[in-house]
Amino acid sequence: MKKRILSSLLAMTMAALSITACGGAAETAPASTDSAAQTQEAAPAAEAPAEAPAESADAASSEEPVNLKWALWDVSSTVYYQPLIDAYTAEHPNVTVEMVDLGSTDYSTVLGTQLSGAGSDFDVVTVKDVPGYVSLVNKGVLEPLNDRIAADGVDLSAYNGVTDQVTIDGNLYELPFRSDIWVLYYNKDIFDAAGVDYPTNDMTWDEYDKLARSVTDTTAGSEIYGAHYHTWRSTIQLDGILDGKNTIVDGAYEFTKPYYEMVLNQQKDGVCMDYATLKTQGLHYSAAFAQGNVATMNMGSWFIATLIQKIKDGEYTDCTNWGMVKYPHAEGVEAGSTLSTITALAVPTSAPNKDAAWDFVKFVSGEQGAEVMASTGNIPAMTNDKIVDLIASMDGFPTDEASKEALVTSHTYLEMPANDKSSEIETVLNEQHDLIMNEEVSVDDGIAAMNEGVSAILAQ
Amino acid sequence: MKSKKTNRIIGQVIIYVLLICLAILMLVPFLWMISASLKFNKDVFVIPFEWIPKEPRWQNYIDIWTKIPLAKFTLNTAKLTIIVTLLQLFTSSFAAYAFAKLDFKGRNVLFLAYVATIAVPWQVYMVPQFMFMRSLGLADTHLAIIILQAFSAFGVFLMRQFYEGIPDSLCEAARIDGMTEYGIYSKIMLPLSKPALSTLIIFTFVNTWNDFLGPLIYLTTESKKTLQIGLKMFISQYSAEYGLIMAASVLSLIPVFIVFISLQKYFVAGITTGAVKG
Amino acid sequence: MAAELTAMEKNMRRRQRNRNLVAYSFIAPNFLGFAIFTLGPIILALLMSFAEWDGSNAMKFVGLNNFINIFKDERFVSALKNTIIYSVFTVPVTLVMALGLAILLNQNIKGKSFFRTVTFFPYVASLVAVAAVWNMLFTPAKGGIVNQILMNVFHTEPLKWAASSSTVMLTIIMFSVWKNMGYYMVIYLAGLQGISEDLYEAASLDGANAWQKFINITVPQLKPTTFFVTIMLTINCFKVYDIVYMLAGGSNGVVNKSAIVLVYYIYEEAFRNWKLGQASASALVLFAIVLVVTLIQFRGEKNYAND
Repeated sequence: MKKRILSSLLAMTMAALSITACGGAAETAPASTDSAAQTQEAAPAAEAPAEAPAESADAASSEEPVNLKWALWDVSSTVYYQPLIDAYTAEHPNVTVEMVDLGSTDYSTVLGTQLSGAGSDFDVVTVKDVPGYVSLVNKGVLEPLNDRIAADGVDLSAYNGVTDQVTIDGNLYELPFRSDIWVLYYNKDIFDAAGVDYPTNDMTWDEYDKLARSVTDTTAGSEIYGAHYHTWRSTIQLDGILDGKNTIVDGAYEFTKPYYEMVLNQQKDGVCMDYATLKTQGLHYSAAFAQGNVATMNMGSWFIATLIQKIKDGEYTDCTNWGMVKYPHAEGVEAGSTLSTITALAVPTSAPNKDAAWDFVKFVSGEQGAEVMASTGNIPAMTNDKIVDLIASMDGFPTDEASKEALVTSHTYLEMPANDKSSEIETVLNEQHDLIMNEEVSVDDGIAAMNEGVSAILAQ
Repeated sequence: MKSKKTNRIIGQVIIYVLLICLAILMLVPFLWMISASLKFNKDVFVIPFEWIPKEPRWQNYIDIWTKIPLAKFTLNTAKLTIIVTLLQLFTSSFAAYAFAKLDFKGRNVLFLAYVATIAVPWQVYMVPQFMFMRSLGLADTHLAIIILQAFSAFGVFLMRQFYEGIPDSLCEAARIDGMTEYGIYSKIMLPLSKPALSTLIIFTFVNTWNDFLGPLIYLTTESKKTLQIGLKMFISQYSAEYGLIMAASVLSLIPVFIVFISLQKYFVAGITTGAVKG
Repeated sequence: MAAELTAMEKNMRRRQRNRNLVAYSFIAPNFLGFAIFTLGPIILALLMSFAEWDGSNAMKFVGLNNFINIFKDERFVSALKNTIIYSVFTVPVTLVMALGLAILLNQNIKGKSFFRTVTFFPYVASLVAVAAVWNMLFTPAKGGIVNQILMNVFHTEPLKWAASSSTVMLTIIMFSVWKNMGYYMVIYLAGLQGISEDLYEAASLDGANAWQKFINITVPQLKPTTFFVTIMLTINCFKVYDIVYMLAGGSNGVVNKSAIVLVYYIYEEAFRNWKLGQASASALVLFAIVLVVTLIQFRGEKNYAND
């Protein structure tokens, strides 16, 4: 009895909330009544794509003014938003795009809250990371794109297989427009001073370890660190998935052991900074590299733009002579396997102008968008030789051949593939990473705890 | 006689030594902020920390105004803070009078409900509250922030506790003189509770001034955003400008200190004494 | 006789009704805003603890499942334990420090207003700055100031402070007292102004010493203030979040079981996993604990009033 009262009370309140929410946006009414009626598959959403092709052709050619609201972050410090919009509106003069900055630190929280219920009026949303993507898909607030992709003949093979890694139950809900790969940055001055050869594009992890040790100097007060690992789990744990034999969501993590042992030994010998100190001190990896006493550092390609800019501004004076090479690789694996992260665009189910929004998404993620991205020094999700040339020719990019070659990858693995449980798995992995690096648990115990914790989550 | 005097001097010395140690301990973060505000970001978190930067970057104090619309943000924050503080002051002190000095049906239950809600973390009801506010058309308005902040249970609780400390006999006497409850509130209670009102102003001011998550969720239009959101704009996805953040933070503390110092003069003993005698 | 009684009763009732109306008129401005915009969503949120909801899909009533789930979750149990430990130590220490400071700064001393402002400072200063200074003192490295003292003066092993499971809570508690005592000092300072000088004068005439005056006048007169401070401190301790994230999370934001607290867990469940029902269930547990503590305090306050 009590149960029924409670649940009907809840249902009533929610219905009231969604009904009032609909008052603002008439188009969204069918979707929200559906959710109140507990329909899992939003019927109108499934219907819409069927009519999409005809409509989108109309939308593209029609002169009716459309205003697209685009949710993103860091408007003031991101160089490619405005050029992307300019390129698009040049072709579609009837469209205006309004950027809404939700801030980068709490982006997923704010976006999730904004898309809750049915009252949001965003047409396009940027998806920051894979766990954020999965949670939005689970919430059912993103349009499935398969039908539109098929209808408009979008060639997914141009994305180097990345889209397969974010396909959920056979459906794709986002199109990536930016992709970052991990490379090894190094400070040429340190190698010159030590008389050691620069890192190369084809190094095994053992060779890398030897190299890092050969330039290390542990003299108090004038230390040189052969390697630097930011406190993220990715910098160590994920080195293990690059042989293509394991993934980070399988529930078995023995493959991480050699990498933890390598870094812990380096830490003990003063080859890299102590994890505990780095963590509490809050030193950003860019600041660490900028001090000029870090010889090599594994980090994502997003750091290229920061380095170039800060050197130009005169802030970074001790690492002006930098270069980069491909990620080291495991024995017997082809060079050029690396980690990647993607930034993607999606269309919310509540979007007022879905067809125009899809057209914009298609453009930004497509070839034209890719060229705009590359011309601003950022790696688009769709890459080819032309794009690599564009980036490498940027003012401030290292002039040696190896650095340009480093941008070419053979295999890329997402830092976190789309999995229903990715955010919960991440919590377990982060915690054990922290304990292992603080040397509070042994590598074996940490791995055992990861196996146990993740298996329990997967079994749910 | 003499020993008593020396005792007092020793006591004074001890007090001052204590206070000076305390002041140093409390001031170090402020010095850190100023020092960091004069540095490049890359040098802020480096150890050993350089307390006096070799080449102070005064440019930071100029850059903060041009990199983000800081002046507009400050104006927005000031507007919100002043309105919220005034509303809070009025509604809280008014309601608290009833809870402290009037006997009415449901008083204890209602009061308990007030206090208990303070215990519910905002993260829990943020989503339903946001959906509700949006359905009223209040998303992306300053009014939403004002409404969220102005009717807090905290202020009522604080004021009620101070009224409790004022003797009931004062109110009784006034009632016998034929004063209405509104009269007692405005002519007796308010003048007597200056230290408490000052406290409430300080706390509300600081809270609204420093509020971050509320404005972040509700305000999406650039021109409506507040100072704290602005500060976070210096932290982007791939880098953080702590030199600039600290420069803006140092400046943003100035109004807080002005309010604190100017209200301090109301922390004077003996107001009650005067009233009882008078 | 009987009629007279009813007339009197009626009269009394009418007067009580009038008094109620006056009282309600005092409360209304605050209460209406509070009830509609805060209390309503809160009640809804607490009801949500019996449902499964991700903010978008339809709510599903699941009975006590959320509670069963959270108590099975190691992270929740650790969070509960850590929060209680944190509160049990932080509340009394902060209270005593705040009262001590308030009395010290209520003396007739030169530069009073300077010292008061300075004490309030860590509360208003940027958390990043306060934490950075703290981490300079309590760095896990051997070269840190506090570790140097430990090694050279006390001849003990250096500690890893916020970086170690065994000392992270201790670090957070000390940090919290330092950062927040100025805030509660302000409340006590205001409370002290309400104590009549006459009481102290009378006590002096009776030959009471400073300690006796403190115990027999200051402490009982400050009862309503202490009531407020205790409850607010308890609530704020149970809601602690940002300083834990700052100190224990460090540069990668990883807060593990040794330091996780309830509100951090709630945040994780709500905005990373979008399990709003589970987040609400955890909040209801927090709410229940604080309610019990508050009720006990209320009892104490009433007893005092009856004295």
